[in-house]
Amino acid sequence: MSARAFEAFLTRIYVDAAARARFKANPRAEARRAGLSYEECAALEDTDWVGLEMAARSFARKRRIKRQSDSHVSYRGLLYRLFTRCLALFRRGQT
Amino acid sequence: MAGAVVAEEAGVAAAGAERMKTFADKVGLGWRADLAAGIFSHLDRIDLLEVIADDFFEAPRRDIRALKTLSSQVSVVLHGVGMGLASSVPVENKRLEKMARLVEQVRPQFWSEHLAFVRGGGIEIGHLAAPPRTADTMEGAAENLSRAAIQVGSKPNMENIATLIDPPGSTLSECAWISGILASSDCDLLLDLHNVYANGLNHGYDPRAFLRQIPAARFGAIHIAGGKLISAPDGRQRLLDDHLHDVPDPVFELLEEAAALSPNPLTVILERDGAYPSMDCLLAQMNLARQALARGRARGAVAEEVLV
Repeated sequence: MSARAFEAFLTRIYVDAAARARFKANPRAEARRAGLSYEECAALEDTDWVGLEMAARSFARKRRIKRQSDSHVSYRGLLYRLFTRCLALFRRGQT
Repeated sequence: MAGAVVAEEAGVAAAGAERMKTFADKVGLGWRADLAAGIFSHLDRIDLLEVIADDFFEAPRRDIRALKTLSSQVSVVLHGVGMGLASSVPVENKRLEKMARLVEQVRPQFWSEHLAFVRGGGIEIGHLAAPPRTADTMEGAAENLSRAAIQVGSKPNMENIATLIDPPGSTLSECAWISGILASSDCDLLLDLHNVYANGLNHGYDPRAFLRQIPAARFGAIHIAGGKLISAPDGRQRLLDDHLHDVPDPVFELLEEAAALSPNPLTVILERDGAYPSMDCLLAQMNLARQALARGRARGAVAEEVLV
């Protein structure tokens, strides 16, 4: 269970800027609040802080690109459905 | 004297090319819709295509039909990006089912995924993240891979990922962690050489030494790509694996090294995700990959002769 909690904690500090800021200010306290063990809290004090910030930025950029791509795809899908609906109506009108 | 050197180099290259044929090494390209026209007009120079599986999990039937048509014309491999198999959290059945269905429809040469986790506590990270390299994630990955192999019907090749952060909470080296997962799952490695190069640069290890520490018999396929240096807040630089740039020379050198070490056929795939150059430029990089493979195979042959 603890390994899962650890991954969930990492996910939160990668994704949530406020959680990341709290973690940087007081790593042990933030990790304890997430229910991590004493050893895990201690391990997190050696975090690669520069890498954490760079990785978090990179993940945020990827999420932004994915959101844009998803909305583009759904817009295209909507247009396609609209087109096929119109075509079906047109064909029905002809028969 | 110079003539003799040139003749010797030409002889080595020819021997390497011959051994490439013996090994049946292949060089292919990542399928991207933007490259479709260029790919179709150069299928004679592309041994295989790697398709992002996740793009087709929810695809309409006409897109699946198009993919099946593509796979009837050229060898296709499927590459997953969203399972998050290297995790202590069990992979969801629905994700495995989608891959199983697509593999059944397309019948790829193989399928692959990443040694990464992509979500935790119900939150999506949005990209591939390196989990803590521990016995727990190693065991979790092995269990996920065992389930994946059963449900999909074949084992995936697992790709090492690039990471800007040294994964917090790790107790094992990257090399020991990867080797452990491959051994316990009996999966082969999709060796991403730009990721090895980037991690070596970002976290201070020698990429060549890294290659020599992974069992070469596990090299199943290889990715090559390019990235860019980005400035860190501390003023130093780290290499971002963005797939938007040409393959740098050190990656071709690592490819030569991998070919010299590997006893198995290698499938090399060039990845490019945007800022697309001309098709000629991509084909030229694939040719450089073939040359690196030939050099490596020639070195491997010399090493074998010395041993005999």
